[in-house]
Amino acid sequence: MQITREEIIEKLKDILLSASDDPHVLDRCTDGAKLQTDLGLSSVNMLYTVIAIEETFDIRFDDVTVTSFDTFGDVVGYIEKKMS
Amino acid sequence: MKSDKKEKKAKLFSFKNLFFDFVRITAAPGLLWFRPKRIYENEAAKKKIKGPAIVIANHAGTVDPMYLMMIIWYRRHRFVCKSDLMETKAGGFWLRAFRCIPIDRDNASFSTVRQIVDVLKEGSLVSMFPEGAVNAESDSPAAFKSGMVLMSIQSGAPIIPVYVKPRKHAYERVTAVIGEPFSVIERYGNRPKFSQIDEAAKYLHEKEINLMNMINNSERK
Repeated sequence: MQITREEIIEKLKDILLSASDDPHVLDRCTDGAKLQTDLGLSSVNMLYTVIAIEETFDIRFDDVTVTSFDTFGDVVGYIEKKMS
Repeated sequence: MKSDKKEKKAKLFSFKNLFFDFVRITAAPGLLWFRPKRIYENEAAKKKIKGPAIVIANHAGTVDPMYLMMIIWYRRHRFVCKSDLMETKAGGFWLRAFRCIPIDRDNASFSTVRQIVDVLKEGSLVSMFPEGAVNAESDSPAAFKSGMVLMSIQSGAPIIPVYVKPRKHAYERVTAVIGEPFSVIERYGNRPKFSQIDEAAKYLHEKEINLMNMINNSERK
C-alpha cells in the first residue's frame, strides 16, 4: 500500500489526539518535536502509541525500545521506511 | 485494543513447566508450616483465578515471588523480573528455569510488552511487582509504574492486587490480602487516554494501601 509522508503524519496526529488529554498537542507535532519533552509522552505512553501505530498502519515495530525515537520526525521516518 | 477476546486456558502439563512444577511439588510438604493466611477483600476476591490474569503485589523482599507462589498455589506464575538479574550466571539459570520474563526498567522494549501479552493470551498468570524494585525501607508500597495497565489493555486480562505483609520473624506464617480483580477495559474501554492509564495505576496503588490497612486492622482486633 502506497502512503505519503503527509498521510502518515495525519494518521499519527489522529492517534496522539485520541489518546492525549491536551487539545493543543497537534500544534506541537512538528518533525523536530521531542517526544518526551515537547509532546509529554512517558515511556508507557510511547509503548501505547506504538501499539496504536501498529494497528493503524498494519506494521510491526521490531526491536524497538522507548529510547529508540527521540522526535516526532523519527517516528514518521520509521513508519515511512516500514511502509515502503 | 484487545484483539483476541477468546479466553484460553493454561495447559495442565507442559515440559516447559517441568522445573516449576518439580519445585512446587517437592517444596510443598516443607512449606506447609509457612502456608499463608489469606484474607479476601470481598466475595469477588474469593473466586479462584481462572484464565489469564496479572497478579500485582508489593515488593518488600527478594522472597516475595515465593510468597506469591504459596498464596496463589493452584496456578503457575510467570514472573516479570528486571533484566539485570538474568545477566548473572546463577540468577539467570534459576530465573530462566522458572520461565521468568526479563524487562529493562529503564528502556523497556516493545518486544517485551508483546511477549508478556502473548503469555497472557495463552491463558497464563503473569505476576509482577509494579513498584519496580524492592522497597524494604518504607512501611507503605511506593508508587506503581503503569506498564501493567498497558498489558491488561492489550490482553484483556484482569489485574489482581495482592498485599503480602512483610514478616518480622522467620518462623512466622505469611499473611496476605487478595483484592478484587480489576478490569481496565471494563472501566476505561479498549482505547483509554494516557491520563486514564496513569489513573488506573494510581487506583491500583491506592487499592494496595487499602489492602495493607485491612491486614493491619484485622490484626489489631
